Amino acid sequence: MIAGHFGFAAAIKSRTPTAPLWALMLACVWLDIVFVPLLAAGIESIDSVPGAPKGAYGASIIHADYTHSLLGAIILSALFGLAFLGRYARNTAFVLGLVVMSHWLLDLPMHRRDMPLLPGGIDPVRLGFGLWRWPVASALVELALVVVGAALYWRAVEALTATHPEKRTLGRVCAVSVLAAGLLTLALGGLGS
Amino acid sequence: MSFILGTVLFVVVIGILDARLPWPRSKGGSR
Repeated sequence: MIAGHFGFAAAIKSRTPTAPLWALMLACVWLDIVFVPLLAAGIESIDSVPGAPKGAYGASIIHADYTHSLLGAIILSALFGLAFLGRYARNTAFVLGLVVMSHWLLDLPMHRRDMPLLPGGIDPVRLGFGLWRWPVASALVELALVVVGAALYWRAVEALTATHPEKRTLGRVCAVSVLAAGLLTLALGGLGS
Repeated sequence: MSFILGTVLFVVVIGILDARLPWPRSKGGSR
């Protein structure tokens, strides 16, 4: 899941307007961003389900015991939130940390059993409810997250710009862009790219 | 591809646009 995370972050922006949107968007995919260098270093990896085309939507099995283990996600969430302390208010930094953690929680119903509790490969337990076995259902869940997130963001922007009419057009451009970028990301993911 | 594009669009492009909106500011220790 990629687009769904962004949709969720847009929804959080509507509830926590003091948190900058860029930071929320960065937070919601932070586990995947940290995954990239570990993938390049060969510490973590990603495979396709046997018989599935490489990169097909919902056909991935990750071996990401650091970034996508429960404890690893909690540590990365705390570090992310701490990085924003001082520059932003404590509750804003706390929300940003929670949004990092939301990545793991949203991945849980989607992934096949490839998410451990503990990092380092010492934990035999692998979690994941496997909704990805039904790609259409998975895509619809992601679509719902994108649409609801964009709608909540739109509503927040409309309320905000009611007292700043000179910013109304910009706000609407932002809200439409959230929806369009979410749909584009979901479509590309669905096409396996 | 979708990950890279999505991250660039949401974090950079939309993030920059959204930052120009008059959202309430978070008051941190150094502000």
